[in-house]
Amino acid sequence: MSVSDDTGNDHLLHFAVLNDLREIAVAADRIDEFCSVQGIPPATAYAVNLSVDELLTNTISYGYEDSEEHRIDLMIRRDGDVLTIEISDDGIEFAPDSAKDPDTAASIEDRPIGGLGIFLTRQMMDSFDYRRDEGRNIVTLTKKTGTASPENQ
Amino acid sequence: MQTEILNLKTEREDDVLSARVGGRIDGSNAARFEEMLRSAIEESDRAVIMDFEQLLYISSAGLRAVLVTAKSLWKQGTTFALCSLSDQLRGAFASSGFDRVVRIHGSRREALDSLDE
Repeated sequence: MSVSDDTGNDHLLHFAVLNDLREIAVAADRIDEFCSVQGIPPATAYAVNLSVDELLTNTISYGYEDSEEHRIDLMIRRDGDVLTIEISDDGIEFAPDSAKDPDTAASIEDRPIGGLGIFLTRQMMDSFDYRRDEGRNIVTLTKKTGTASPENQ
Repeated sequence: MQTEILNLKTEREDDVLSARVGGRIDGSNAARFEEMLRSAIEESDRAVIMDFEQLLYISSAGLRAVLVTAKSLWKQGTTFALCSLSDQLRGAFASSGFDRVVRIHGSRREALDSLDE
């Protein structure tokens, strides 16, 4: 379940999830609903879901040194044809730039397992920005919405 | 609804295992997906075809599970192919470069036919 709601603005979705991998599907439902209302094409919605999933998975799996409950804040905003996604958590600092891109041309026997999440997010999004602010990780992504379906304009 | 749960239905004919995967695969269930595949696959299978027609979503955790399975099948000499991916799934496979290490067919029929070539 998501722990907070703030959907007063039509073009803005703000909610939070807990540090539990099962929350990813919950976040996906919220994102799908937002994208559908905003007339955002399925391919873009998929890219947003995938990116949020990868970041949440990383944070939930590796971001906490305790076993306490933590809250991860998510914000998605549409300004014209640009989506901005912000994910903020109080996990340990991470260095997304230090992750080496996987060799996507490697053969099956040489292809390493892993190292794919952040790479995929960068592939799917138009921009990826990370900053550490007052003990929080803040990742900001942007993505052009692409061609919207006319009936949802 | 994205919360639709992961499901796997398998059938075997002439040592060819068809695995139909439905729902979504993310970090919460990728390990279980890998385990479900592992227990379904026999060493005597000459081919494994994974049908993604009912699969709504896969994250990198799910892609990893597919890669792990592909690697283990490659080692035991079993042919492995995927079929019936949506455009979105194809995009995820292309971005990760997995479309170069795993054979992807348009339909299950096409995948089965390719085994006889």
